[in-house]
Amino acid sequence: MNEQNRNWWVGVADMAASGINHGALKLERVHLSIADETFNILQQVPVTRPWSESVRYIHHGISRLSYRSVSLAAAGLGALARRANVTKSYETHIK
Amino acid sequence: MQTDTSPVWQRHASAILSGFLGDWLEARNNPLTMPMAFFHGRNPVEPDSPDVVEEPGSTLCLCIHGLMELESIWTIPHGDGAHYGSLLAAGNSDITPLTLRYNTGRPIYRNGEDLADLLETLVSHWPLPVERIILIGHSMGGLLIRSACHHGQLRGNRWVEQLSDCVYIGSPHDGSWLAKGAKATAELMNGAPRDYFRVLGEVIDLRSEGIRNLSRGDVVNPEDGEPPLLPGARHYVVCGLLARSRQHPVNALFGDALVHESSACGSERKGWTLSDVASFPGIDHIRLAHHPDVAAQLKEWLL
Repeated sequence: MNEQNRNWWVGVADMAASGINHGALKLERVHLSIADETFNILQQVPVTRPWSESVRYIHHGISRLSYRSVSLAAAGLGALARRANVTKSYETHIK
Repeated sequence: MQTDTSPVWQRHASAILSGFLGDWLEARNNPLTMPMAFFHGRNPVEPDSPDVVEEPGSTLCLCIHGLMELESIWTIPHGDGAHYGSLLAAGNSDITPLTLRYNTGRPIYRNGEDLADLLETLVSHWPLPVERIILIGHSMGGLLIRSACHHGQLRGNRWVEQLSDCVYIGSPHDGSWLAKGAKATAELMNGAPRDYFRVLGEVIDLRSEGIRNLSRGDVVNPEDGEPPLLPGARHYVVCGLLARSRQHPVNALFGDALVHESSACGSERKGWTLSDVASFPGIDHIRLAHHPDVAAQLKEWLL
């Protein structure tokens, strides 16, 4: 793999990491807002009303933890990719 | 300048990603960003030392691609690598064909500023005195020509005086229906009461400044007003239409697939005087950049 090719893959890694980082947070919002539609209905039904809020609380907590873990991991990978890119730019500048 | 040795699929992927996210990639100093560069054939041409060009002529013909495209869009199928510039050069040995590659996701006015500067550098370092410049732009490339002319004129660039002909091929001077649709959809989604719709609007809003400029055909900063066509140069328009019959409703709905005929002609622009307009029913937006019938029309206009 030559330097041009390596740089290209570093760019892809940076973009993919940023995409997963922000994409996970957007997916979290979509997931939770769609789930809220169901929980809002459960809240209207007398049989499920006593439990719906606590189930919503647990569901949203686990979901947030999952999505934000993915987002954090992607942010870490993105930082590594950007660091590789900055090091490469510095080396090119020195040459 | 380093020769691009990357595989073709990587170059195409970079062009597509640059079109979608080019301004964002540039802000992050991402290596996928495509810097603006001239090419002669497959060889990059340094504007300040254009010695790669063998037998340079005194007429420069620069072909400028559109959104998410590369200079390879100009290659005529089954034409032994010929493109509009090389066909013109075959008819007049004084013409040197060049192509431009650039980051199509950047705002058009910023690409226009850079192109004006690069042309000034190229013309001042060209081995012969440049007597004539022909600019041919496909889609966004046509808007880039208008932007470069505006900035070149403002800066008093010498190349503007040599510019004789501008050809706009399927350029959305009044905007593209697809870019307008994306803008309207994003606005609708962003105003929706549900978060899942708003996320969809935010995803559409990730589109680059270059794509946003295509919704109204913006070539300069909004505060700069609307620049007229460059006086002293001839301006030609080439339009495509999806269906072979001019009256077909598909043509009224979609034009050449992305640009309506009226937008390609700049019907909403004030004070435009075009030297000629050619419409090609049955030729879609992409094929306008490499069709033998268009090539014949360009020869008639420019040789």
